[in-house]
Amino acid sequence: MKIFLVLGSSFLVLCSSSIKLFAANEAPGTKNQEQVAEIYRPQAGKFPDIAKAHAYRGELIFVDHANRRGSIRVAGEGMFRRNDPHPFAMLPYGMVRYHGAPADLRDIPLGTMMHVLAYLPPDPRISAVPVLPENNKEKDAGHYRGAGVFPAENHVLLIEDEASYCLREGKAWKLKEVELQSSNQGIILATLEAKPSGDGKATEQKLTFDGALRIWRGRECLTIAELIAEGAWPANGKKSLNAQSVLLGLTWKPTPDGIFQRFHISDIWLDDASIQRAAKNQTETHTALIRGRWMPAFVDTVEYGKFGRATVTVTLFGGMDPSLYADFNKDSPVMINGAENTLKHDGGHYGPGHLASRGTILGVVKSPGAVPMGSSGIQVRFETDLIIEGIRPGRVVRIHPKGWPDVVLPREEYLGDGPRQEDRFPSPAIFPKYNL
Amino acid sequence: MMLLVRCFSFLVLGLLGVQANAANEEPRTKNQEQVAVPFRPESGKFPPLDKSVAYRGELVFVDHATRRGSLRVEFKSEFFRSPPTPFAMLPYGMVRYHGAPADLRDIPLGTIMNIRAFLPPDPKNSSVVTTPNHWYPLPLENHAILIEDEPSLCLREGKTWKLKEIDLQNNQGIVLATRDSQDAAAAKDPEEKLTIDSTTRFWRGRESLSLADLVAEGTWPASGKKSLGGQSVLLGLIWKPCPDGIFVRYHISDVWLDDKATQRAIQSQTEVHKSLIRSRWMPAFVDKVEYGKFGRATVAVTLFGGMDPSLYADFKKDGTGAINGAENTLKHAGGSYGPAHMASKGAILEVIKTAGVAPMGSSGIQVRFETDLIIEGIRPGRVVRIRPSGWPNVYIPREEFLGEGSKIEDRFPRPDIFPIYR
Repeated sequence: MKIFLVLGSSFLVLCSSSIKLFAANEAPGTKNQEQVAEIYRPQAGKFPDIAKAHAYRGELIFVDHANRRGSIRVAGEGMFRRNDPHPFAMLPYGMVRYHGAPADLRDIPLGTMMHVLAYLPPDPRISAVPVLPENNKEKDAGHYRGAGVFPAENHVLLIEDEASYCLREGKAWKLKEVELQSSNQGIILATLEAKPSGDGKATEQKLTFDGALRIWRGRECLTIAELIAEGAWPANGKKSLNAQSVLLGLTWKPTPDGIFQRFHISDIWLDDASIQRAAKNQTETHTALIRGRWMPAFVDTVEYGKFGRATVTVTLFGGMDPSLYADFNKDSPVMINGAENTLKHDGGHYGPGHLASRGTILGVVKSPGAVPMGSSGIQVRFETDLIIEGIRPGRVVRIHPKGWPDVVLPREEYLGDGPRQEDRFPSPAIFPKYNL
Repeated sequence: MMLLVRCFSFLVLGLLGVQANAANEEPRTKNQEQVAVPFRPESGKFPPLDKSVAYRGELVFVDHATRRGSLRVEFKSEFFRSPPTPFAMLPYGMVRYHGAPADLRDIPLGTIMNIRAFLPPDPKNSSVVTTPNHWYPLPLENHAILIEDEPSLCLREGKTWKLKEIDLQNNQGIVLATRDSQDAAAAKDPEEKLTIDSTTRFWRGRESLSLADLVAEGTWPASGKKSLGGQSVLLGLIWKPCPDGIFVRYHISDVWLDDKATQRAIQSQTEVHKSLIRSRWMPAFVDKVEYGKFGRATVAVTLFGGMDPSLYADFKKDGTGAINGAENTLKHAGGSYGPAHMASKGAILEVIKTAGVAPMGSSGIQVRFETDLIIEGIRPGRVVRIRPSGWPNVYIPREEFLGEGSKIEDRFPRPDIFPIYR
């Protein structure tokens, strides 16, 4: 009892000291405003403010695509290799992009360097990944890892590979010099700049490559040996590449000579034709996926009628190929199914169409002006005679217009019969905890 | 009282069962079967392949750092309902992709994989479940010695796909094909219907083509049927949900139209894997340790199989190297400062190629190595990783070594990361 009182007293004294320290250094009003402003969490049924997102990048290490979560080794200023895989979960409207096109986590090869825009967990109680202190990104993780490698902002609005990031931001890599250290490995000096012409201030980066490098030109997939045979690259030694503008796919490999952080080139797209072909292929992959799994959406409003009838308005999630949105047409039939934040269908043992609510599209409205990231800006109003608990304002649903295939889903992509808490709210316990 | 009644009923049913068996079967055969102990691989030995069970399925989940994952196993019913079934790689288990050595991290989710697997060597330490948790006829043999994609299987077994006919509508369609063996005496596989769409990649020489390119060239029709005349190709297979109540029909992700295209795919994957092994070191079993004085010992190890020959060629008599303890997951026992930091260093005394055919999982190459730091991790039957001195001396990422302080979970990963589906 005495020990407890002493410890409690020390805590009180330290707290008082801390308050005084803050009070001495900062204007009280500013401090309060900052404290309130810092804790921003996305809300159910709303698309969050992109300005509040935290940006970082890292190597994709682990994927649990059925629950739309995974782990990423976040790049900081310290020893990249020591950074534990950091769990992340996709927000329901969170978008994955690969090769400049919409994608699913299952499409991204492990090892790919990804750019992330993320928020604090919307509801920490049901987070599918570990919840960390809100200011975790500011803490030095120790062991030469630096700060920022374990951000609490682990609920992702956008995760995209290097090529997608460059295409979205209008950037390109300028190749300055290649050095072949043997017949099939070497170093490239390059800068990342605005595509037409950079301001010349970009920092030069050293990137490695090896015999697994894929070089895309038009419809060709070339090897290093072929570039050497053409005379574009030297068989050995250095050659200037005259700031050749390309897109790069980046991964990470352990680097010798005590280098903390140097990324590795997996792919080079030498021309627009080649990246367009990659984007087309990935777009087709994702379009086929969404047609089979249905379009995810938020329920905006429900106008209740009689005997289970209702008029429902939903906003379709964003980032898909326009051809998918074009399939939602006034007066055509539609099916809608309850879904979870993981986008898993609530039921599906006989296919999601089996228990879905059916109806007719009354109208499709495109919002004028800028659309927040995560949203398509397209609202669909439809009437159904089977309004159910899963179709309530703020809930996630999946919606299927006429013409899309009516298929059954694989077992891990729906909840199944009998509600198990773990099915709806996956536990973060699957992620290993590393000790040094 | 109720308990007694139940016991008695059980006894009667049991006796009836024995009588039924006795009436239908030869007693001697029955006894032999009952005595037969299920085969399990033993630590430090490569198991006979003919004791393995073969099956195939869709790769659904991968935990590459602990060399395990899940497959949706094919059975002759509703494929979509087949819950992802966990598997673990045996330490010497081999992954092959595009006809070349690979790691689980290299295989895209969704790929149809062919597997040869055994019962868990030691069920107590299995990193995947050892008992069925559902009523589907799914295998208990979930410790893989080989997992390979369709082109790898075809190349290894001397098979090719013969394309008979294509039927296209709106950039998607059905291909009729058979998987034929070069061995004329082999049983013929039945004709299969496979789906194809605009995501399918066609590889021809150095070109990566789309369905639209083939249509534009006039090789394939824009719409309708066309005979393909038994064109010989290799196929990459995945699975997509099928409409019309089709239980199992696979989808073509890739078509390799010629040998040159196949060789390029092999070369690319071989380079990926070589780079991985050179940085993570060659895995091996410890065969024998001859103890010397003051911590010295001569260690004989057998290198695991299935790698590119150039990797084995780097182990040379009189060369130097290092050897590190590892787990069944092939994780290095230590590595916070790189695996070389705590590794036992020494000289290669001899490299011996075993005569005859090596069992699957083994390279058939034994390396004798002398070190002045014999440690607990280097004992007969244990898994180690060994590095000749010419390989890059690099650090490895955090999830690929055990770290300081021994957590039991690090050494023996629990199977409870795998969801149980109802």
